[in-house]
Amino acid sequence: MNLRKIIFCLLLSVACLFINYVKAEEVLAIIKVKIVPVVGEDIPEGTILIHGHKIEAVGSAVAVPPEAKIIDGRGLTAYPGMIDAWSTLGLYEIGSLQATIDYRETGRLNPQVLTTEALRPDSMHIPITRSNGITAALVVPSGGLIPGRSGLIQLWGGTPPEMVIKSPVAMHVELPAISRGGFRRQAGPREEGSRQLEEVKELLHQARFYEKRKIAASKNKILALPDFDEKLEALLPVTHGEMPLIISVHSAADIRAAIKFLQEEKLKGIFYGVSQGWMVAKEIAQADIPVIFGSLYDLPPSWEDGYDALYRNPGVLRQAGAKIAFSSSSASLAKELPYHAAKAAAFGLDKREALKAVTIYPAEILGVADLMGSLEKGKLANIVLAEGDILELRTVIRHVFIQGQEIELSSAYTEFLEKYRKRNEKKP
Amino acid sequence: MKKNIIISLCLFLAAVEPILAGGNLLLKNGTILTVTKGTIPKGDILILDGFIRQIGENITAPAGVKVIDVSGKYIIPGIIDSHTHIALSGTNETGNTITAEVNMRDVLHAEDTSIFTAISGGVTTIHTLHGSANPIGGQNITLKLKWGKKAEEMIFAQAWPTLKFALGENVTQANRTVVGGEERRYPASRMGVVAIIRRELQRAREYIAQWDRYNEWQRLKMLNRPLLPPRKDLQLEALADLLRGKLVARCHSYRADETIEFIQLSHEFRFRVACFEHIPEAYKIAKELAAEKIGISVFMDSWAYKVEAAEGIATMPAYCAQQGVLVSINSDSNERIRRLFNDAAKAIKYGGLPEDEALKLVTLNPAIQLGVDKWVGSLEVGKHGDIAVFNEHPLSAYTRCDLTIIEGDIYFDREAYLKERQEAQKANPKPKLSGGGQ
Amino acid sequence: MKLKKLWFLALLLLITPRLMASGPTYAIVNCRVVSPPLPVIEKGVIIIRDGLIEAVGEAGKIQIPEDAEVIEAQGMIAYPGFIDAHTNLFLETTAAETPQQPPTARPPTGAVAEERSPAQPEFFVLSQIKPRQTIINSFLKVGVTTVLVAPERGIFSGQSVLLNLNGEKPEPMVVKNPVALHLQFVTARGGYPNSPMGTVAFIRQSFLDAAYYSNHLTTWKKSPRFLPRPVYNPVYEALAPFVNERKPVIITCNNQEDIKRAVRITQEFKLHAILSGANEAWRVAEELKAAKLPLLVALNFRPPATSLYSAQGEAVRRKAEQEVYPANPATLQKMGINFALTSLGLSDAATFQKNLQAAVKAGLPAEAALKALTITPAQILGVDSCLGTIEPGKIANVVLSSGDIFDAKSQVEKVWVDGKLLKIERAPEAKGPATISVAGAWKVTVSGPMGEMEMTMELEQEGNMVRGSISSSYGRWEIRDAAISGQELSFTLSVTIMGQSMDVAFSGRVEKDLIEGTLQVPGGAADFKATRIPREL
Repeated sequence: MNLRKIIFCLLLSVACLFINYVKAEEVLAIIKVKIVPVVGEDIPEGTILIHGHKIEAVGSAVAVPPEAKIIDGRGLTAYPGMIDAWSTLGLYEIGSLQATIDYRETGRLNPQVLTTEALRPDSMHIPITRSNGITAALVVPSGGLIPGRSGLIQLWGGTPPEMVIKSPVAMHVELPAISRGGFRRQAGPREEGSRQLEEVKELLHQARFYEKRKIAASKNKILALPDFDEKLEALLPVTHGEMPLIISVHSAADIRAAIKFLQEEKLKGIFYGVSQGWMVAKEIAQADIPVIFGSLYDLPPSWEDGYDALYRNPGVLRQAGAKIAFSSSSASLAKELPYHAAKAAAFGLDKREALKAVTIYPAEILGVADLMGSLEKGKLANIVLAEGDILELRTVIRHVFIQGQEIELSSAYTEFLEKYRKRNEKKP
Repeated sequence: MKKNIIISLCLFLAAVEPILAGGNLLLKNGTILTVTKGTIPKGDILILDGFIRQIGENITAPAGVKVIDVSGKYIIPGIIDSHTHIALSGTNETGNTITAEVNMRDVLHAEDTSIFTAISGGVTTIHTLHGSANPIGGQNITLKLKWGKKAEEMIFAQAWPTLKFALGENVTQANRTVVGGEERRYPASRMGVVAIIRRELQRAREYIAQWDRYNEWQRLKMLNRPLLPPRKDLQLEALADLLRGKLVARCHSYRADETIEFIQLSHEFRFRVACFEHIPEAYKIAKELAAEKIGISVFMDSWAYKVEAAEGIATMPAYCAQQGVLVSINSDSNERIRRLFNDAAKAIKYGGLPEDEALKLVTLNPAIQLGVDKWVGSLEVGKHGDIAVFNEHPLSAYTRCDLTIIEGDIYFDREAYLKERQEAQKANPKPKLSGGGQ
Repeated sequence: MKLKKLWFLALLLLITPRLMASGPTYAIVNCRVVSPPLPVIEKGVIIIRDGLIEAVGEAGKIQIPEDAEVIEAQGMIAYPGFIDAHTNLFLETTAAETPQQPPTARPPTGAVAEERSPAQPEFFVLSQIKPRQTIINSFLKVGVTTVLVAPERGIFSGQSVLLNLNGEKPEPMVVKNPVALHLQFVTARGGYPNSPMGTVAFIRQSFLDAAYYSNHLTTWKKSPRFLPRPVYNPVYEALAPFVNERKPVIITCNNQEDIKRAVRITQEFKLHAILSGANEAWRVAEELKAAKLPLLVALNFRPPATSLYSAQGEAVRRKAEQEVYPANPATLQKMGINFALTSLGLSDAATFQKNLQAAVKAGLPAEAALKALTITPAQILGVDSCLGTIEPGKIANVVLSSGDIFDAKSQVEKVWVDGKLLKIERAPEAKGPATISVAGAWKVTVSGPMGEMEMTMELEQEGNMVRGSISSSYGRWEIRDAAISGQELSFTLSVTIMGQSMDVAFSGRVEKDLIEGTLQVPGGAADFKATRIPREL
């Protein structure tokens, strides 16, 4: 009797293990689907094999194992999940309620704060965004000269650790935006970006010195340790060259000053915004500094720039050889990411490059190209199945996979409508 | 004989249209999306004296008429934005809570660069309004965006004169922090908003009664004592005009409940509501709106910036349209105004509206809401030659507006703009009035 | 017969001006007399007595009185003193400024418009005038002898006065008071109306109410029985004559839309209106011609903020200021529109003169310019019976210029105002040419009895003359009477800090990127140090 029980339990637990094992190693096959891997040639009809979290195989002649769950991709096109290179997803709910906004810390210098430590996974903006094919986003801080550090999340998960892909990604520096008359109604004080950069230079210098003192004190017990400074501590990875700086910069003069700054300090940098980037495109490209665009849903800084300045900016920069990525620069309108890219394509950017700038390029710029950005073996199974071009406004998205899990496409949009549909269509 | 003469005279008068000082133009070989009468894959449009005279294939131009070949491009009716604040020198009169006496016609700003921004996005007609700071704002105006012309030449006189109402957080100033010791302005709650509107309309009723009484006394000439007329009050005149049917209301509202309350008020005082503005919660009361035949003028997907916008959904415009509500999409922004065609396209993705219905959201529907559908909003013979030409299908994300034409005159020409910019880059900047073509 | 003679003598005595001890008599001889529309007198004589022109004519034909001081004016030109028909000079605005209302104060429930009105039509600006010698002198130097001083704050800002620049006390300066009601399209900060459309509605309602009030009052006065009397209202009392009796209203128009608004309001209320400012008038010339309204055109060439030129960046705005707007008077003149020229909006008389020359250069014929400064403003302001030309019996306002007054090289040698020969102070300029340029932006530190202050200064330079302004957190002040000689710089500044206004004089030395000197402030002196702010891209 006893032995039977033991054996039964053993078998049961083995069975459970087996089930778990099978679950964790679930195999999905998307078949008969048009594939746009982004890296490499398009495949008019093929198969994507997903094993667990990762893409096992992509091709026109992929063998599908018998245990695979089949997803019919007829009439659909598979794309890699898009990556939003700048957003406030998870840190913003309702604009007028301060209690729901957590991406802006008080004070001017906050290198010690990290966005992914404040994420709200239940944000109503996340399901809407991922339903439109965006599967990852860089969540960024804002405000002051050094607002903090950003982290990359996937748009699925119940807790922040479940969402974080890479964090921290970069240290942020914000130079003032241009505010002149012309298109914009308000004219504000003209601040010099180069003065702010001097300040950052000084801070980095202080950080290096702080570290020097720490190291010296650890070697020689007589020397006093410097007082703990969380801000300088946070800047150390930047001085070591381990963490890039993302500099928000807009005017041509400031861009030049920022390039000089990065070269002199020998730092890795990425530019964000670059509203007047088209004026200094060659210099940005030659300096090998990638560029993340702000929302194209904005007006150019001044009349002289031309009404289409922000629209043609990406094309000009790409033509000059710069590496580019688009962003939504939003939470409530993060779903617009593909349409910023399409807008740039309407004004000179090559359509293929536009697609790359929301997939593989942001992955490369943010240092996660081994994980995402294209449909290639070994990368995470972040896949979007759409009824057409995902950069097109009219395209309906049918399936979204994040790390091999199919995501339900319900969101506030669908839930609210369903709730009130009954009311409007109830027969009296 | 006399009868015949009278009949022919009437026919003759009916045939004489209001004269537009408009231009002549022939667009050839474009894909014409008429919005109301289907699509012509490769067609021509002839505009004479500002009116569309012919739509079809292989039209020959009369002598002296400029011909533009738009092969490969798409022709749609000029886009209409039924809610904006551009081309004005002021938005809100916040010195008082009720400001029906102000008239936006007095503050037209023909040199507002936002007009150029709008025409670069294919917009030809706008309804530009007083802001939403007050429960009763001011009188609004509809304009044709004839960039470079004088303000008076832009006025679209045939449009219904409208009076702006507003409900909700902007009026109660709910998002404004009160400085210590300061008292909030009345009304500070939605209760007060309804009460103050009712009070003002009641005052208007009594103002009308006063004048009626005076006129009656005058008529009866029972003058054994001096009789003074009532004081003419511009604010009450405007409200009285609303009650008399000379003005229609356009009401900014967000929540479904406050919208229903306003509809009740309109019944109580028997005035007409042309449109609710923004109303992100329209989908909750689609059946009431359809029954009342009140249109809505909304954002496609801008939401969550205020609490009252927290339940706005992108599927709302399509859904309401399917439920029989007259829906238009507006911009209320001098930036979004140039992307209205993009917003219209989203109604296909979010809600499944057919293409023509999606296009109507920014063409025919706002025209109907403004009372100008007889002249604009679709490409039909007899309507104004207001046209936008796009290089790709207007509902594609890859499209761009290349030409904007109002009453047969070109006001935005991207090719000419690019050429001018090239030349300007070589020469020094010289002051000129046009941003792209005058 | 004897009685008749007696009556005649008495009459003669009555009508002959009383011969008081009222200043010397002058005979200006051998000058060219230019006073349109009268014919030019090549070699003329002007006799001034008792503040009036006694005689004017060809030399030889006019008898020189025995008691006259003869002023030899060979080679010079005599003009009627210029009338600057709209200025805001001499106003004690800063000291009398009402404390700022808390910006968040709001009127209670549905406040009736008039309770908070920025309307002071009953305000006579004469009560606020404080003439300043330096300013008078600067205007005399450019040939202006008569100025209209208008109130400058509020929508119905008050009623103006016409002054002869003959001295220091306001009363003897008055030529006509009041001249007109002044109307401006401004807003009332912190109250109603605070928007341009509110202002228009407010103006219309005010005129309606003034007419209503006056009608009520007249009716009541005629037959008060069984009629409640109107509640006394000083605003409507003051406004009513402008609606009922068509007394003149001067409407300041800053841009073309203002002009159109002014025309509409004028037509609605059948006002006797004069439009002032109007530096964009050429853009609505057709409407103006049809409306037949006289203009007081400001020689301020700065494109208004609403103009497209202003929206296209600083370079375009400046070009428009130099090339487009100066042609305004010339265009109006070609269209046959009646206008006078004023200094409204300009910071000083020297700029007025400079801009006048620019307007002539841009195509305004010299005779038209002259008319627009003499007989036309006299007519528009209703004083052409005593001013505007050099004619016997008119007030003796005469300017003697070394040459053509529109020539930059000419100088005003002598000025008579009300028959008094006035001394013109020349600034200590042209001691030597300027050898250094101060043009540009400067960061200023002033350390003095009140502590240390940081400011920014923007300067423009033309030869010896310097113009500019200083800005600080307390406001922006124009620099006046600035001159540079060699490396010595001097200027004055009218400064207002926290309601206190004072005149401050600076003198100091300029190095390449450094200005150092002293500021004379009430209570002592302060050290002034300015370093140049380098021009960026």
